[in-house]
Amino acid sequence: MGGEGWLFLFAVLMAAVLLFTMVFFIIMFSDLECDYINPIDLCNKLNQFVLPEMIAHAFLTLCFLLSGQWLAFLLNAPLVGYNVNKIMAKNHMYDATEIFRTLSGHKKESFIKLGFYLVSFFYYLYRMILALISESD
Amino acid sequence: MSQPVMLPQGWEARWDAQSSSYIYIDQATGQSQWEVPINPSFPTSHPSASPPPNPASPPAQAAPSRHGRRQYPTAQIQQMYGSSYEAQPQVGQPQQLAAPGYPDQGGAQQPQFFTPGFGGPDAAAAQQPAYGAQQAPYGGAAQPPAYGQQPAYGQQPVDQMSNQFQQLNVGQKGGAAYGADQKQLHSIQTVNLIGMQPDVSALDAPPPPYLLPPNAAVTSSPHIQPDPSYQRCTLTSMPTTQSLLNKSKLPLALVMAPYRSWRESDGDEPVPVVEDAVIARCRRCRAYINPFVTFIEGGNRWKCCMCGLSNEVPQLFDWDQRAGKPADRWARKELNHSVVEYIAPTEYMVRPPQPPVYAFVIDVSQPAIQSGMVAVAARTILESLDNIPNADKRTKVAIIAVSTSLHFFSLPAGATEASMLVVPDLSDVFLPKPVDLLVNLTESRSAIESLLGRLSDMFQDSHVVGNALGSGLQAAHQLIGKIGGKIICLTASLPTLGEGALKARDDPKLLGTSKESSLLNAGSSFYKTFAIECSKQQIAVDMFLFSAAYTDVATLSCLPRYTAGQTYLYPGFNASRSEDAIKFATEFGKVLAMPMGLEAVIRVRATRGIRMSAFHGNFFIRSTDLLALPVVPTDQNYIIELQLEDDIKGSFVVLQTAVLHTSCYGERRIRVITQALPTTDSIAELYASADQVSIAAYLTNKGVERSMSHSLDDARNHITNRLGEMLTVYKNQVTSAAGASAQLAVPDNLKLLPLLCCGLVKHVGLREGSSIPPDLRSYAQCLLTTLPCQSLVPYIHPRFYSLHNMPADAGNIGEHGITLPPALNLTSERLERHGLFLIEDGQNIFLWVGHEAVPRLIQDVFDLPSYGELTGGKFTLPVLDNPFSQRVNNIVAKTRELRRGVYRPHLYVVKSDAEPALRSWALSLLIEDRMDHMSSYAQYLTTVKNKVNGSS
Repeated sequence: MGGEGWLFLFAVLMAAVLLFTMVFFIIMFSDLECDYINPIDLCNKLNQFVLPEMIAHAFLTLCFLLSGQWLAFLLNAPLVGYNVNKIMAKNHMYDATEIFRTLSGHKKESFIKLGFYLVSFFYYLYRMILALISESD
Repeated sequence: MSQPVMLPQGWEARWDAQSSSYIYIDQATGQSQWEVPINPSFPTSHPSASPPPNPASPPAQAAPSRHGRRQYPTAQIQQMYGSSYEAQPQVGQPQQLAAPGYPDQGGAQQPQFFTPGFGGPDAAAAQQPAYGAQQAPYGGAAQPPAYGQQPAYGQQPVDQMSNQFQQLNVGQKGGAAYGADQKQLHSIQTVNLIGMQPDVSALDAPPPPYLLPPNAAVTSSPHIQPDPSYQRCTLTSMPTTQSLLNKSKLPLALVMAPYRSWRESDGDEPVPVVEDAVIARCRRCRAYINPFVTFIEGGNRWKCCMCGLSNEVPQLFDWDQRAGKPADRWARKELNHSVVEYIAPTEYMVRPPQPPVYAFVIDVSQPAIQSGMVAVAARTILESLDNIPNADKRTKVAIIAVSTSLHFFSLPAGATEASMLVVPDLSDVFLPKPVDLLVNLTESRSAIESLLGRLSDMFQDSHVVGNALGSGLQAAHQLIGKIGGKIICLTASLPTLGEGALKARDDPKLLGTSKESSLLNAGSSFYKTFAIECSKQQIAVDMFLFSAAYTDVATLSCLPRYTAGQTYLYPGFNASRSEDAIKFATEFGKVLAMPMGLEAVIRVRATRGIRMSAFHGNFFIRSTDLLALPVVPTDQNYIIELQLEDDIKGSFVVLQTAVLHTSCYGERRIRVITQALPTTDSIAELYASADQVSIAAYLTNKGVERSMSHSLDDARNHITNRLGEMLTVYKNQVTSAAGASAQLAVPDNLKLLPLLCCGLVKHVGLREGSSIPPDLRSYAQCLLTTLPCQSLVPYIHPRFYSLHNMPADAGNIGEHGITLPPALNLTSERLERHGLFLIEDGQNIFLWVGHEAVPRLIQDVFDLPSYGELTGGKFTLPVLDNPFSQRVNNIVAKTRELRRGVYRPHLYVVKSDAEPALRSWALSLLIEDRMDHMSSYAQYLTTVKNKVNGSS
């Protein structure tokens, strides 16, 4: 298995992890809506995952850039930009005092990210298989 | 006097002439007793009470009268439940059931009483014909129920009603069509505002009346709706669908001050207390029983007015526990009063009621000592020691002094001297001693008194500059964290050391630009995170800020905002000016003496279909609909936005606010406020029922919120646009005028809303301009979002009186205390060169003296020979021996105590030709005038009119 195959295998795994993180976020938000968890615990729990998620995604994007996978890189670049912008504005963390006011926005964001990771998961899978096939040829 | 109630099977009541009361005999065992047997094993519908031998004896008289009182809207019950409980074959002939009277059976009635838990559905069915014959007394709140309007009841949420009944309902619907023909409607009057002087005296008018359908309430008490000062709604009739609400552009929100204070002098009555711990609540939606429920099945069950579930009436609901005899259900406070307080049993407690705890964190750095703040604060606490709520002698107190290090005071019980412990470590705060730092107020009284007596002197010679406020707060949090309570924080300088250090970030270049809103937001996350910690531990924080320089009110006020405290600002405080010292001492004393509710939660419940969508006020939102307040302060306002998730089918909706709290006297209490609003499906009716003061309060909160999240400019536009949208819809949908118009059509009940909006966009909290210090803006925003309506309206639209030519009775004691002169329009056209005027907004009073004022006037009021001798600024009005001086003094005194709340306004003397800063401050309150580049009221109306015309 060559470099491209390994890269996309790694990307598939990362996308799966990110996918699960988003599912976790969404579950936690609906728990909050159903009053199974209080906003303080929710924010403490989720804030642990916010930066790792962003860093993992940025790392994956960096890998694509370095290995010259331009299409995959361009696919991911907007989200990296969005995340960086959020960190610069210092509103990337969930705020327990504002969470109920902003909950619908957070949920929407999580769903969009979920969809994005899902699409990229299948794209990476496809590219991985493509790479494997071209290698075996 | 006890009387025969429905007895358990096998019991008999016999009249004992000797003792003039009933004796109860168990027929099976022969055992007899005086007490009514109350625990039935076999409910029966036939009481075996034998009538007293002497028909003229008291019980015989009492029985029918009680009987008459224990009626309930039987027509209603029959209509809704009769068919399902009667034998099934009869369902096909509902008319027979609903036929009034059963006159032939009316005579056959026997005295039947219900006791909770007695008699099943059979009993109810058997009783109904009898009650039907004489259902008039309680048939309706206002008028006896007419059978023609019965279908209206069918419109209530009737989910668990049988299918047959729904069909029947549909069959009858055509005839009565929503009961609309009986429905009272608000009359809608359109007024034009362009070119008219607003009638400012109408600002105090109550909101439009609630036109509830007759029979909505089970009792005819006048108190079934709350006083608007407790709770009011922006619309006094509820739209039936969200699309109607969206179309109308009117805001739907509750404006409430559930824990408002009351004064006997205002003719206020204290909140009635239900003392017997019988708390009837709906099993499903947990609503408390209220005047708008319906009793069914002969009064054994009640149907929740919010979710429609039928609940059992608690056993002791009709039982007077103190007297040990049956009580009159219709006299129960929760069925007669909208605002009631329950004494909650232990199920409502997480822990035994905690004592009130006060931790004082006092800044003793050099600026604080120099301004005299510490001395005044210590003296005020000393004088208020007797007023601090301490009825059961459990109140605890701690004092921490903060400068560059933390100073704790050990106040052992019984000791006469306090000893000071200094902790210089600010990064890792620890308590130097496990005990004696938080002490019982009564036991350590002498030590506390001696400490407070010399607190200011102790630090007199210290010249340290620097304030480790954050660390001091953390220490106080550690100290009282186990119990919870209130931290009262007094600081005269910006916190610069330790945790939560702040920078002076008030860059004057930012003022007036779109970046100004960053100065209104918190500069450090410490105070927000710390506030969450405090809220968890049931600690509230009150902030008293005194600095002459920038103190970052925006950041420090986060702490009170999320812990349900309050921020107080005394800019440029200097205790050597007696006015400053008196103002602070009075307000601080009132805060200390304020009764407080501890460990409180607020929840609002509403008829199914209504959802609380957003919450504004000082509290922490703990879950989607639960507001956590470590301490409920009196007279604070909360705003709750409502949304309609489902269409509303009933003829009225019920909104119920419950405040569960521990009173400072060691009781767990629940304050319940119930409000019923009729529903409507017409836009005209919505507009006719809109409450301008509530809408203004709602727009204020939305504006302040927007000024933080977006910009001040955006906030002002938002307010004006919302107003424009409302009036556009009104013009197009209600008055159905087409095209551009030279008039601005406004419903009569909203005619002052444009004036209030104009006042709002010109208010110091939202005003355009680059000269307002961010501290003053932030503080004004704190007040705008927390003041109850009574104080908010004058804060937005100040009062303006002319004193030199006031009517003869003004300033003298009249029927309702001191009579105030008539309020004037807020325009400088009214100012005369020789006159004396008073402008007040609840926070400040300005006495405007015209420069041609006659020496006699100056002499009479100020005891000075001429206008030239008078200097402007903070002033204490002398009481002189002439009637005019006394009248002016009376008016000032009355103005100061006119409203609920702790604020004591400063009195400023403003000379019309000197001190330009003070003069322009006073003039900025005259909101109908043009000021700098802010439009006058007339111009503002034109802007709104153009918006209305432009979009139509």
